[in-house]
Amino acid sequence: MTLLEERINRGGPVSPHLQVYDMFKLTSFLSIIHRVFGAGLLVGTLLFTYWIASAAAGPQAYDCAMNFLGSWFGYLLVFGWSFALFYHMCNGVRHMLWDTGRMLALKDIYQSGYVMVACASGLTVVAWVLGLSL
Amino acid sequence: MVQFVLPRNSRVKPGKSHKAPAGAKNVKEFHIYRYDPDEKKNPTLDIFEVDLDEIGPMVLDALLKIKDDIDPTLTFRRSCREGICGSCAMCIDGINTLACLKPIADVKGPVKIYPLPHLEVIKDLVCDLDHLYAQYASIEPWMKTKTPMPKQERLQSPEEREKLDGLWECVLCFCCATSCPSYWWNGHRYLGPSILLQAARWVMDTRDEGQGERLDDLEDPFKLYRCHTILNCVKACPRGLNPAKAIADLKVLMMERIL
Repeated sequence: MTLLEERINRGGPVSPHLQVYDMFKLTSFLSIIHRVFGAGLLVGTLLFTYWIASAAAGPQAYDCAMNFLGSWFGYLLVFGWSFALFYHMCNGVRHMLWDTGRMLALKDIYQSGYVMVACASGLTVVAWVLGLSL
Repeated sequence: MVQFVLPRNSRVKPGKSHKAPAGAKNVKEFHIYRYDPDEKKNPTLDIFEVDLDEIGPMVLDALLKIKDDIDPTLTFRRSCREGICGSCAMCIDGINTLACLKPIADVKGPVKIYPLPHLEVIKDLVCDLDHLYAQYASIEPWMKTKTPMPKQERLQSPEEREKLDGLWECVLCFCCATSCPSYWWNGHRYLGPSILLQAARWVMDTRDEGQGERLDDLEDPFKLYRCHTILNCVKACPRGLNPAKAIADLKVLMMERIL
């Protein structure tokens, strides 16, 4: 068999990737969360649309929507949506800095990662404290 | 395309277990990916117990010990044993690195050793790197000049030379490329961190006169722009280089020439 034929017939397995790679290092972990939250924001937007649409549909529909959103599960969804929103916003700023070629040393990546999570958490808490006190 | 699970023929089954000789005191387990192309069977994970008192401190020392004394069929690439050649790149303890630079003491529990991720396995820890080398050739990694040859060398000031620091040291071990999920899913068209770092090495070289063509070639939805700054590459590079920075610099140059 020629070398070329040998190569074509080889058909070796694909080496393991997601199954064995450590994706819980801060670098990849925050990136995965960013994607997951991005998908979550879509759900949050649907929820928001439902709320707005119910207000347009009349008092009965609005009461029904508020009943659902006012339940513990509704609160949980809205809380998750707000955190995902702030996370996406803060990490978006981080991505923008990277796109200018800054903050890409490993030390900066970790520091900005922690700061970003702290900012997103802080903004979420502030939004809820303001929202509930008004 | 995104693949979350391995194809049927690639799933790893439990393998053989090799016990340490009686009397060994400082025993460590090594779980090593095995695939024999002659057997047409699924890959397995073999367990080797090695007495650490008998060997040097690095993972490569353990692999050599296993090959010499326990199972001579164990197959892996190695050459310089000091991080210069880039041959012994593999996935150790969940991160791609060079076996010769990875201290065994850094790993808690059994040392899990797999080939570089998402490549075709030839045998055990040896993967097919043809595609990566072809991508390397595609960026034309040589000096391109248009001006007539000077009588002496093409000169470069120390400041200009400094622009290549952090780029020229790459040994093409492909630890970064195969740590990148984006390269796993789109590696057929995305060039990946190692090749893009090499592309940057030529674009940043002030003696090179092909910068425009080089950037034209990278202006493509896949070749450059599949980098989503996941940053596994920065974490993986065994020589402490920063492919993400090189890619960001390329993207900035792309913007600058449009604006």
